[in-house]
Amino acid sequence: MKSINKLIIAISVTTGALVTSCQKLDIAPPNIFTSDVIFNSQAGVTSFLASIYQDLPIEDFKYAPSTNDGASTNGYAGFQHGANDWTEFYNEAAATGEEVGPWAGMDIGTGFGYWPYADIRNVNIMIAELPNHVASLTQTGVNQLLGEAHFLRAYYYFGLAKRYGGVPIITTVQDPSAPLATLQVHRDKEQAVWDFIASELDLGYNMMPATSVAGRANKYVAAALKSRAMLYAACVAKYGSVNFVDGQAVTAGYAGIPASAATGYFQAAYDAAKLLDGVYTLYNGYPNDKVQNYVEVFLDAASPENIFIKQYSMANKTAHSWDDTMSPRYFTANALSRSYPTLDLVERWGNLPITNSDGTPTRYDNRAQLMQTLEPRLQATIYFPGATLRGLTFDMQRGIYPSFSGTAAAEVAKPANSRSYILAGSTATLYQGMQVIGNTGPWTGDDEYTRTGFYVRKYINFNEAQSAVNLNTSVQPWIDLRYAEVLLNRAEAAVELGNTSDALTDINLIRARAGAALYSSVTLDQVRNERCMELAFENQYYWDLKRWRTADVVLDKAHFQGLMPYYVYDENKYIFLAEPELFNREYTFPKQDYYEPLPGGEIANNPNLLPNNPGY
Amino acid sequence: MKKLISRILMGVAILASSACTKTDNYPGPNASFQGTLISSTGGNFPTSGGSTQIWMQQIGWTAPQTIPSKFDGTFEDTQLFSGGYKVVPTGGAFWPVFDTVTVNLTKGTTHNFTVTPYLVIKNFTATLNGTTLTLTYDIDAPIVAGLPTIKDTQPYVNTTSLVGTGASIQVFSDDNGVTINKDFIDMVPADKSRTLTVPNLIPGRTFYVRVGVRLNDSYLSSNFSNIIRVDVPSN
Repeated sequence: MKSINKLIIAISVTTGALVTSCQKLDIAPPNIFTSDVIFNSQAGVTSFLASIYQDLPIEDFKYAPSTNDGASTNGYAGFQHGANDWTEFYNEAAATGEEVGPWAGMDIGTGFGYWPYADIRNVNIMIAELPNHVASLTQTGVNQLLGEAHFLRAYYYFGLAKRYGGVPIITTVQDPSAPLATLQVHRDKEQAVWDFIASELDLGYNMMPATSVAGRANKYVAAALKSRAMLYAACVAKYGSVNFVDGQAVTAGYAGIPASAATGYFQAAYDAAKLLDGVYTLYNGYPNDKVQNYVEVFLDAASPENIFIKQYSMANKTAHSWDDTMSPRYFTANALSRSYPTLDLVERWGNLPITNSDGTPTRYDNRAQLMQTLEPRLQATIYFPGATLRGLTFDMQRGIYPSFSGTAAAEVAKPANSRSYILAGSTATLYQGMQVIGNTGPWTGDDEYTRTGFYVRKYINFNEAQSAVNLNTSVQPWIDLRYAEVLLNRAEAAVELGNTSDALTDINLIRARAGAALYSSVTLDQVRNERCMELAFENQYYWDLKRWRTADVVLDKAHFQGLMPYYVYDENKYIFLAEPELFNREYTFPKQDYYEPLPGGEIANNPNLLPNNPGY
Repeated sequence: MKKLISRILMGVAILASSACTKTDNYPGPNASFQGTLISSTGGNFPTSGGSTQIWMQQIGWTAPQTIPSKFDGTFEDTQLFSGGYKVVPTGGAFWPVFDTVTVNLTKGTTHNFTVTPYLVIKNFTATLNGTTLTLTYDIDAPIVAGLPTIKDTQPYVNTTSLVGTGASIQVFSDDNGVTINKDFIDMVPADKSRTLTVPNLIPGRTFYVRVGVRLNDSYLSSNFSNIIRVDVPSN
């Protein structure tokens, strides 16, 4: 009972102290950064910018375009920051036939409800605040930062416009206590949003300096982004006015741009791309080894081709897992791969020499022989059977034919149970002392075996020791904008404008670096195909299909093919057969997915966002 | 001390037991909506999985919902909240309807929609010869001007009477399709009188068969024939 008394005394004393202690103190809360703390120094602004840059809609290694098919281990998709163990293979490539992978089909068309107005608000705060801090930042410093802010705001709106078309353009810092009627803004027309992006990027180009530290924007980054964005707007105008799903949002101009605007946008894309003339060059660090040269485009930090990159760090826990999840366990310390390049992508470079003129499969002495005949860029983009990594060989082999006669086409057309090949239920199974299936597949026994006979090579850090290739240990930067893309933007805009000679020059620069034969003339189809080859796996193809409005044609009950290597036992030769990829997936793009639906939660908050895009 | 603890525990117990007495007494959804899609050329409008839907939006709410049409052109949803709804059929191979109809949903509300099909499949016959099925049919268009391009035509074969897109056996169905890629106005009579063959059906099985013609409209939708039952004799 004594302890209770002590407790009572203690409580009384404390209460007494609290009651008498309320002297008013006028001290700013020390745990909240005021605008003076942030905007009165470059260091403060830099820290504020860091989160704005981090949230930019850069579709990098970690970008998860949807939560469908179990794509997101953390339950949300989009632009990921921290550890991201298993998202790399849920990429746009694997939903569109550049690769086949864990998506059950074209399952990313409705997006993930991207709605970055909180980030845009941060940029708007910056634009509103900076002019008040000329004294500490100098007028030049303020102007440069304002230019950067306009670039960043354009980047966010580009992320919105390519998904939704017209969205509300908000350029002020909205007051949360303002009347609901002023907060519930209407959508702006799609054309107005693209024009806003263009003018913001022009401000960025005019106000920013010519150089910047890696990972931050300069004036040429703004120009490069403008060439990309204006090409998108131009194609929406030209092709979207022909192939579209009708609805209220189209009638109101929220989805779609009049065809008459196309030429102006193509010209804007061309002009923006031309601003980079002579400022950046294509990487050519290994001129005598075109394959190695193209590999290093994506790994050499000193590349003069890099315009805008996103960096990663293990210390900050922002490293990615590209190396660990694009190659099978055979080459890594852990983990596995799940998405694989298709033969259809490879054949953008032309048909492979796997069949003789009489239709019989070409016999090869070893697996690597086929690859050695191909364009260096193709070899550097995709690991073919026979390629090597970290001292190990990609020993892809689907099975063994004790003997093989007849044509490739006749063999592939046979029902599986009447083909004379030997397959196996394990990579350990032997036939006459020889491994039936390669250590790297193709096989359906486990996720990590290729289903197509190929693996991704682009961006793979071959220098890393196998024991160090683990989840969240890759730090090679994502190259968001590189000069090759700007050249391709310029070529596409040029050919659309009828200036094929400019397009030919641009395309041949790229082909020369790639180790490809140069063209003597160029068509729109060739320019587009060049783009698909050069930018494979760089999260461009999905958006290209969308803006060309060809996704519903290319992905119409589409099935993709793989390249299946077999060993012919009695001849001691290898043959390659083009066969359906082993997932046997079907891909169909519904036309309404040319625009994503506005997020339902946002419409509930603000019914003025209606009408939603057609079909939703 | 022990007394104190036991009193505190008792207090906690009383509070805990008395805290959760509220029950959810909101009424569940009890209104229903049913009806039929009627073809302007007569009869029900035949549909398939994943195509035609009744789009509906409760007045005063922002999120739309949909009722998928059944294969025979009827639709029904018995778990709806009563109230006013804007409704419109969408997503099928018929001339688009943009004007919504307002219906006041209560229990057992029925509303039929009349739609004009893009194409009508007439004179559909199925002839079995051994294990090869020959399908003949004619394509007609109630309205020709402005009709979307006709992409392809294919049989749909399944082992149940639910047969159509997404409910068919690929080797008998998609693999026997034929590409057309023509505008109706450019089609000669021979293009409109079609024959499809489905070889290598399995003896002793029953199949349900229909044909579809797919158009390049907003939804890449198909017009369907009626469904025919085919019994393949055992050999």
